[in-house]
Amino acid sequence: MEIIRDLIALLFFPSGLVLLVLSLFYEWVDRKLLAQFQNRIGPRWFQPFADVIKLLAKEEVIPQGVDRRLFIPLPIVGLAGVLTAAIYVPIMGMAPSHSFKGDLIVTVYLLSLLTLCMGLAGSNTIGRFSLVGATRTLTQLFSYEAPFLLALLGPAIVAGSWQISEITAYTENRWLLLTQPFGFLVALIGLMGKLELPPFDAPEAETEIVAGALTGYSGRGLALFHLGKGVEMLIGLTLIAAFYLGGVSNPLLFFVKTLALLLIMAGLQALLARLRIDQTVGVWWRYGALLVLVQWMVIIVSKGPVL
Amino acid sequence: MEEQQEVEQFMVPIGPQHPALKEPGHFLITVDGEIVTNAVVRLGYAHRGIEKATEERNWVRNLYLLERICGICSHIHATAYCLGLERLAEVEAPPRAQAIRVLVAELERIHSHMLWLGVAAHEAGFDSLFMYSWRDRETVMDLLENLTGNRVNYSANVLGGVKCDIDIVQADTIFMALEFLQERTRHYLDVVTSDAMFLQRTRGIGVMTRLQAEVLGVVGPTARASGVHRDIRAEAPYSAYPSYPVRVVCEEKGDLEARFVVRINELFESYRIIRLILEDLPPGELREKMPRRIREGETVSRVEAPRGELFYFIKSNGTDKPERIKVRTPTICNMMSVVKLAIGHQLADVPMILAGIDPCFSCNDRMIILERSHAKQEVWSWERLRQHGIEYYHGNHS
Repeated sequence: MEIIRDLIALLFFPSGLVLLVLSLFYEWVDRKLLAQFQNRIGPRWFQPFADVIKLLAKEEVIPQGVDRRLFIPLPIVGLAGVLTAAIYVPIMGMAPSHSFKGDLIVTVYLLSLLTLCMGLAGSNTIGRFSLVGATRTLTQLFSYEAPFLLALLGPAIVAGSWQISEITAYTENRWLLLTQPFGFLVALIGLMGKLELPPFDAPEAETEIVAGALTGYSGRGLALFHLGKGVEMLIGLTLIAAFYLGGVSNPLLFFVKTLALLLIMAGLQALLARLRIDQTVGVWWRYGALLVLVQWMVIIVSKGPVL
Repeated sequence: MEEQQEVEQFMVPIGPQHPALKEPGHFLITVDGEIVTNAVVRLGYAHRGIEKATEERNWVRNLYLLERICGICSHIHATAYCLGLERLAEVEAPPRAQAIRVLVAELERIHSHMLWLGVAAHEAGFDSLFMYSWRDRETVMDLLENLTGNRVNYSANVLGGVKCDIDIVQADTIFMALEFLQERTRHYLDVVTSDAMFLQRTRGIGVMTRLQAEVLGVVGPTARASGVHRDIRAEAPYSAYPSYPVRVVCEEKGDLEARFVVRINELFESYRIIRLILEDLPPGELREKMPRRIREGETVSRVEAPRGELFYFIKSNGTDKPERIKVRTPTICNMMSVVKLAIGHQLADVPMILAGIDPCFSCNDRMIILERSHAKQEVWSWERLRQHGIEYYHGNHS
């Protein structure tokens, strides 16, 4: 029974097919909202599915000068990383299927694995656009990663645990957004940086470096990276909603809160112009890190007597 | 193979096919990290041999050919050609025709500047501005279609006058549309001068001093953004511009922001001129009769295209076909400034600096000198040139 339960968790829910379908749905919501904000019509609901199916069916061109031993597994590793992360996260308001002390750190690490894979994929070519894109992807990783992690650790500190299930039990009906507004802000914008959404889309700025690190990818590899990003977005939204917005204890709350966050994210994407990579680093270390550290100080000082 | 060179110089090719370029051009950018250390431009990918083709067609057919040099500023090409030719033939188009020519030219300027605003915003990764400005541009496209029957390549001009008249209903439509556009343009001016994120990408980027602008010989809004007070409409008023004087829009700072501000302010100027024309449209005929053969002679015709000075040299040998027509589009004057200004900036700024001059590649592509070693000169026919093109490109690809 244990094995069947594990297999279902891995292949179907929370980390398998359902998650992929859900993430594609969220991608559509994001694209549709952005389109509406920009006075466009936007894609129909099945467009992300069609994109992925089309890419999967296409021939995968392996460019000259790449190491095949890296080129083929990298998208798989990246997608596997984010899918594994889903096991520890309360997707759709269900309790995480697995849980252990410190799984928050593992989850955040697994999410970064995808970005690392993309950076490696970009470095593993002789294409100029990929190389520049990879440099930017990794530079961006180093700029948002620390503030983003710190912002997710804020709720962990007040909950007194680094285990996602315990934190969510603590944040249930406690809107940490009200007590830790900076943390929430940094976490949400950090997620946008992680997903390379505008204004943090310098690593894939099409007008400069075509598609950035993934320029050399087509077909299956691109589809897997694409899916990985979608899943990453879903997990990120779930974490932020669970930590800062009073928990996602049932599917209804989950959908309402994550979609509300997505609405804010789409609004920001429509509102802001792309930052250059040096400006991105500046924003994160000058403001992001500072804000979240101030937040930490407040948390620690206010929590001091309790400890 | 070239590893030694690879270590020393990292070159990013932008073009001939690249998402940042709407038309083929080739920029070889040498970067040190993200900083541009050198930039080389190669043009000529969209050379169509139009100048040569004019020599095989009669004066009337050439009007429609020359209009197709540029898809955005087609009317101004036809205007430059008509004005030059009318001077050669000593025919003057009636005042009403001249006014309508200017009216269409200004409508075209509005559509071109709004198109540019969207493209430039897209290069900066500000897609919302791109979508909104292109939506509003549809208004002026509709006006042009309403007036001339075409959205692009309006062919409003004919030799000796214009094809289309404006009635009172159309004038009202234009007034109403201008009202809407003016309000939107005010909003865009507000956005490009106050949006902090966008200003980070434009303020102080690609600064061209007045001296540089004069030395590099840039023209049009690019020059005016650097404080060069130069506009053919005001300096050497042609067609109906003497009756509707233009105020030259200038900015001193010379950076990308100034280029945005100049072009947006020029929109206001165009609205004003269009209103003036519609309020005071001279009555009368629409066209004067033109002879089929133009007497021998040569002339120069200069007009202000949306991108700057457009120059036509027309030489007639007394037949119904031109001896030579030479076109110089504004982009070719501005192109070198891109290469100059890009150095020292970040790679991310290069598409913005390029977009800043509002490039139009296929307009500026002219004949390349081939076979320099041959001392003898020869004149090629249109068929010979075409055959050469086919062989040249076929040879390159096989």
